[in-house]
Amino acid sequence: MKTESKNLTQQESDAFGRELDALRQEVVADLGERDVAHIRQIIRTANRSEAAGRVLLHFGFGPMSFVLGTTALGLSKILENMEVGHNVMHGQYDWTGDPALDSQRYEWDNVCTGDDWRHSHNFEHHMFTNILGKDRDVGFSFLRVAPEQPWSPSCLVQPISAGAMALLFQWGVGLHNLRLEEVATGDQTPAELGRRALPFAKKAGWQLFKDYVFFPTLALGNAPRVLFGNLLANGIRNVWAFAVIFCAHFPEGVRVYDEAETEHESRGQWYVRQLNGSANIEGNRWFHLLTGHASHQIEHHLFPDIPASRYPEMAPRVQEVCARYGQSYNTDGFRRQLSSVFRRIMRLSLPGPRLEAKPPRPTSRKAAATNAAWNAEASEHHAVA
Amino acid sequence: MDAMTAMAKAWTSAGSIAAKRLFLDRQAEFWLGELDPLRSLREIRARVLEVLEETSDTKTFLLRPNGAWSGHRAGQHTLVEVEIDGARVRRCYSISSVPGDELVSITVKRTPGGRVSTWLHEQVRVGHILRLGAPAGDFVLPAPPPDKLLLLSGGSGITPVMSMVRDLAARDAIFDVVFIHYARSRDDVIFHEELTELAARHRGLSLLLCLDDDASTPVGFDEAHFAELVSDFAERSTFLCGPGPLMERAERLWESVGASERLEREHFTPALSPVPPGTSPKEVQVCLTHSERDLVLEGEGSLLERLERAGERPAHGCRIGICHTCKCRKQSGTVQNAVTGEVSSEPDQEIQLCISVPCSDLELGL
Repeated sequence: MKTESKNLTQQESDAFGRELDALRQEVVADLGERDVAHIRQIIRTANRSEAAGRVLLHFGFGPMSFVLGTTALGLSKILENMEVGHNVMHGQYDWTGDPALDSQRYEWDNVCTGDDWRHSHNFEHHMFTNILGKDRDVGFSFLRVAPEQPWSPSCLVQPISAGAMALLFQWGVGLHNLRLEEVATGDQTPAELGRRALPFAKKAGWQLFKDYVFFPTLALGNAPRVLFGNLLANGIRNVWAFAVIFCAHFPEGVRVYDEAETEHESRGQWYVRQLNGSANIEGNRWFHLLTGHASHQIEHHLFPDIPASRYPEMAPRVQEVCARYGQSYNTDGFRRQLSSVFRRIMRLSLPGPRLEAKPPRPTSRKAAATNAAWNAEASEHHAVA
Repeated sequence: MDAMTAMAKAWTSAGSIAAKRLFLDRQAEFWLGELDPLRSLREIRARVLEVLEETSDTKTFLLRPNGAWSGHRAGQHTLVEVEIDGARVRRCYSISSVPGDELVSITVKRTPGGRVSTWLHEQVRVGHILRLGAPAGDFVLPAPPPDKLLLLSGGSGITPVMSMVRDLAARDAIFDVVFIHYARSRDDVIFHEELTELAARHRGLSLLLCLDDDASTPVGFDEAHFAELVSDFAERSTFLCGPGPLMERAERLWESVGASERLEREHFTPALSPVPPGTSPKEVQVCLTHSERDLVLEGEGSLLERLERAGERPAHGCRIGICHTCKCRKQSGTVQNAVTGEVSSEPDQEIQLCISVPCSDLELGL
C-alpha cells in the first residue's frame, strides 16, 4: 500500500515550490556541452540502428537477419520517438540554438503530427495534468483509470480496448488531438473535425507510404519481408511506449484532481499536483534511456523543459524534498507498476468502488490566481536567493 | 523549353517535399556529416586551415568553406556561428580575403569580455569547423570602381577595406587610392606588412598611418590634421569603417562640407550592456521584423501580455513557461526571464514571450 501525501497549506506548497525552483535553477545553470553531446549521440545511435535494421531487412535472408533487422529498426524508432522526439519537442534543447533540436520545428517518425503533439501533450497534458475534464490524457478519454471517473457499460470492454491501444499506440496518440468523442457529444462540428483531421491525415498518409510502400518497393524481391519488418518495428515501439506511458500516470497511488480544486492554483500547488499525479519506474541506465527518461515521470512533470537525461541526478534531490514535506514519491519496479496499472484497468471496468470524501485542498484568499503573480513571486524569490 | 524547365522545377520541388516527409533529408544530412563534418545540405560550413597572428590581439582565420558558400564582394561580412558550452552564438565579422578566392578569411580582434572573439582566439584550432552565414552587406565597391577613392579605417575596422584593397590590387585597378588608417601604435596596425608592400608596388596607392603614440600628430581622428593630409577628401568616394567615436567625427566632417552622399559607412554593432534586473520600462518600442511593424507597448506584465494588449496574437500555450509554444527570436534588446531572473541582452537569442519582461526597446522575429 502506497502512503498518501500530506495535504499542504498554501504556504507549505509555495515553500515546496521554491525548493524545486532552486533545484531547477541549479541544473539550468549547469547545462552545457555534455547535454548536447548526449542528445547528438542518441541521434547518432538511432540513425545507425535504423541503417543497420534496413540493410538487414532489405538485403538479408533467413529468419535471423529478419529478427535482428526488425529489432534494430524498432530500437531506432523507440530512441527517436522517446529520447529525441518527445524531449526535443518539449523545448529541452531550445537553449542550444541548434535548428535540428528546435522544439517548434521538430517532426518525429510517428503518425501523430508534431503540431498536434505540441498542443495536446506539451500544453494540455502538462499544464492540466490529471485534472478530470481538462487533461484528456487521463485514460486517453476512453478508459476508466481512476475511480473518480464515472462508470458506463462501455467500461466493461476496456481490458480489450486497452490491449488494442497497446498494439496501435501511435494511432491512438495521432487521433487524440482530433477529439473524436466531442463529435458525438456535439462539442465539435464535423467541419471543425475536418480542419483538425487534415494535417493528421496528411502525416499519416506519408507515414503509411514510407513504411509500407516506399521502403518495400526499394527492396524489390524482399518487399514482403521489409513490409512485415516495418509493421513489427512500429508494433514494438507502440507496445513499449504504451507500457511506459501507462505506468506514468495510472498506477495505484496516483491522484486525480477536479477542476474546482485547481482553480486558484499557485506555482507551488501546481508543483504539488504534478508530483502527486505522476509515478516513476525504477531501472538501470539503459532502461531509463529506452523510455526516453519517461521512467522519471515525476521529474519530467516538475521540469518538463529540462533535458531528460538530467532527471536521474535530480531524482534523489526531489525525493529528499518530498520526504521533508510529507509528499509521497510514487516509484516502483517496471513489473510492479505495470501490474498495478493492469489491475486498475480490470477493476475499474466494473462499477465502483465507492469513494470517500476527499479533504478539500487548502487555498488562501490571497491565492495567486494569475500568471503575473506566479512570475512576480518567482522573480522575487530569485532576488532573495 | 519553358515547359521543360517548369516541369523540372515542379519535379525538384515535389522531390524535396517527399524527401522531407520521408525524413530522407534529415538522414542525408546526418550521413553526409558523418562522412565529413564539412559537408552539409543546409549549412555553410568552413574548415579552419590556418590561424595567423596579425597583432597581439588580432588573429586571421583562413577558412575553406563547403560548396554552399556563394562567394562574397569586397567589404561584405558573414555571420560566424560557434558553439560555446553547447549553445550556439553568432557574431558578424567582415571578410578580409579577396573575392573569387576559394579560401575565405575573417580577421578578428579580441574584445575584452567578448564571448565569441575570446572563444575564437582561445579555442579554435586548425581543423575545426565553423558555421557561416551567406555573405551580406551593402558596404561594397561599385563596379567599375571609382577613379578617386579614399579608404578610411580605424582599429579592426580595417578588415572590410583591406578586402577592397586586395580586390583592387588583384584586378590591377589601383589608380588613385588613399588609404588612411588610425591605430594605437605601429604594432597594432593589422596587415601592416602587406599594406607597406602593396603601397610600394602600386604607385596609385598612398598609405597614411595615424598612430596615437606618434608625438608629432594628434591622438585619434583630428579634423584639421586629417584635412591637411587628404585635402581633396570631399571629392573622393570614401569607405569608412572604425570605432564609434571615429565614425561620428568623420560623419560630421563630411556633413559639414556637404559630401555625405560620397561617404559609405560600415558600423560595428556594439554589444548591448545588460539592464539591471527589475527595471522594466513602462513603455517600450518593439519592432516585429517578420511582419515589419513597429509597436509601442505600454503598461506592465510579460511581453506576451503586452503584445496582446497591443492587439497582437502571437502563438502561445501554457503562459507559464513550460510548453515553449510562444518561443521567438529576439534580434536585439534586453529582456528578463520572470521565472529565473536571467537577463538576455545578446542579439539573436531565443526567448519565451510569456515569461519575458522587456527591459529595453526590442526587435522580435515575429
